Amino acid sequence: MKKILFALMLVPAFASAIDLDDEGTWKLTGFYNLTGAKVMSGSAQGSSAPWTYQKYNCPCTIQNWEYTGVYEKSKGWQFDQESLVGLQLKKEFSQNLSATVQVVARSQNPNQGSKPTVDWAYLTWQPSADSNWTFQAGRFRIPLYYYSDYLYIGYAYPWVRPAPDVYGWPVYSYNGANVSYRTQLGDSDWATTVSVWTGSYTQGNDAYYSNIYNNSAPTSDAWKGILGGSISVNNGIFDVRAMLMHHKETEIINDPVLGQSTPVNDASTTIMGLSANMDYKSWLIKTEIDHFSQVDQTQGLNNVYKYALVGVGYNYKGFTPMYTYSRYRTVAQPIEGRDTQIFSLRWDVRKNMALKIQYDVSKDKSTYPYPFFGDNKLLSIAVQGVF
Amino acid sequence: MKLRLYCLIPVLSLSLIAMSANAELVVIVNKDNPATKMYLAQVAQFYLGGSTLFAPVELAENSPARTEFYKKVLDKDAAQVQAIWSKLLFTGKAKAPKEFKTDAEVKKFVSATPNAMGYIDKSSVDDTVKVVAIVP
Repeated sequence: MKKILFALMLVPAFASAIDLDDEGTWKLTGFYNLTGAKVMSGSAQGSSAPWTYQKYNCPCTIQNWEYTGVYEKSKGWQFDQESLVGLQLKKEFSQNLSATVQVVARSQNPNQGSKPTVDWAYLTWQPSADSNWTFQAGRFRIPLYYYSDYLYIGYAYPWVRPAPDVYGWPVYSYNGANVSYRTQLGDSDWATTVSVWTGSYTQGNDAYYSNIYNNSAPTSDAWKGILGGSISVNNGIFDVRAMLMHHKETEIINDPVLGQSTPVNDASTTIMGLSANMDYKSWLIKTEIDHFSQVDQTQGLNNVYKYALVGVGYNYKGFTPMYTYSRYRTVAQPIEGRDTQIFSLRWDVRKNMALKIQYDVSKDKSTYPYPFFGDNKLLSIAVQGVF
Repeated sequence: MKLRLYCLIPVLSLSLIAMSANAELVVIVNKDNPATKMYLAQVAQFYLGGSTLFAPVELAENSPARTEFYKKVLDKDAAQVQAIWSKLLFTGKAKAPKEFKTDAEVKKFVSATPNAMGYIDKSSVDDTVKVVAIVP
């Protein structure tokens, strides 16, 4: 943690991308999020008396599902749940072929014992410099919802983090390949991109299941046979994206006492997402609705989740205040669900660095018989940038 | 020596004022590019990574022409443009625009690269490149 904070302090010294050779074929770039938050208050099942959920002392709130970033009121200000620094190295072999590696060091990474992760490592090939086609192979983040593939590039969005009510997955990467086709629609200013991706991923020690649902019992999760596609259109003002993905999930729990169990075995899963955004003059509108479906009666699975967010912001001289509402629900009993109101302010301190302050008011709509994460109010502050 | 410096400063600042007053930017492409005329909204699409058909070329950061181009054509400030490109660059969706210090360098690159697009001062235009839009 200390090393990462130290690295973060050095990072803003870099003004911009670093060319590692005279020809500019090696490029080093990066990003950082120094994010801190404090739970102001919280309650569960009508009582604000402290409670525990799994290994967490509550009042508490989960703000990052992938690496289980959970803030606990008893710990005061915490900067070690979501802070990170990422480095991207890119080598252009020719106009048509390049290789890219992105390594991210996180202050908290229970998936891999705090070691840096290789979030991206891929080759990009284009038939020619002005081709409509792009082919890539390697490791990627799954481009599931609108912010999924750049969830950790804080500088690229207005909030401290995209709403965790919508962005929470046990598996978020794939090893495989993708192809994209981009074109201008006629003589208009509308452009479209069609992408298809395929691959698979196994998360050996999966913090999402282990820490959040399985009482710290080691759990592995595999998404096999991923096949996804998206189509997006934009004209510089409006940006609309639709996504559909299918895969088969297997979750294996290795409980030290109860032994091995497989609550989800090769279960067919379909995820859909639709987002529509507007960026006109000073106004920003962000919306999306998403749907996850994993129904298999032979295994007793009825996992249907519905997610949505809608936000409105206004940019005035480098300041972007924004109001966002997000929610999610499962349909099967007992329901898990949450409604959150997010009041955020972004200030572009300088061209490649933003300061953000955010206040989240969240209501737990779950009907579990025990207290879950509960209602909570969270104050967050972040310095996020790129170089 | 001191004297000379004192003389230079007013001359320099005068010429800077003259430059910004007369500056009229134009958007240029390669001569072999079939495009003849482009709307500024289309030009903005390339500079904001919305479309990758053409490869946009930038002037140096902090150059007055770049600031003016962002304001008039992209309707964005530098931080907003950087935020949009951050998304593209760290998800492997686009190549960062090449950056040059002078109009002459931009012109040289555009004239040698079939799908390149740049913006330069109108007075720098010659027959090595083709103008497809004028920034009012």
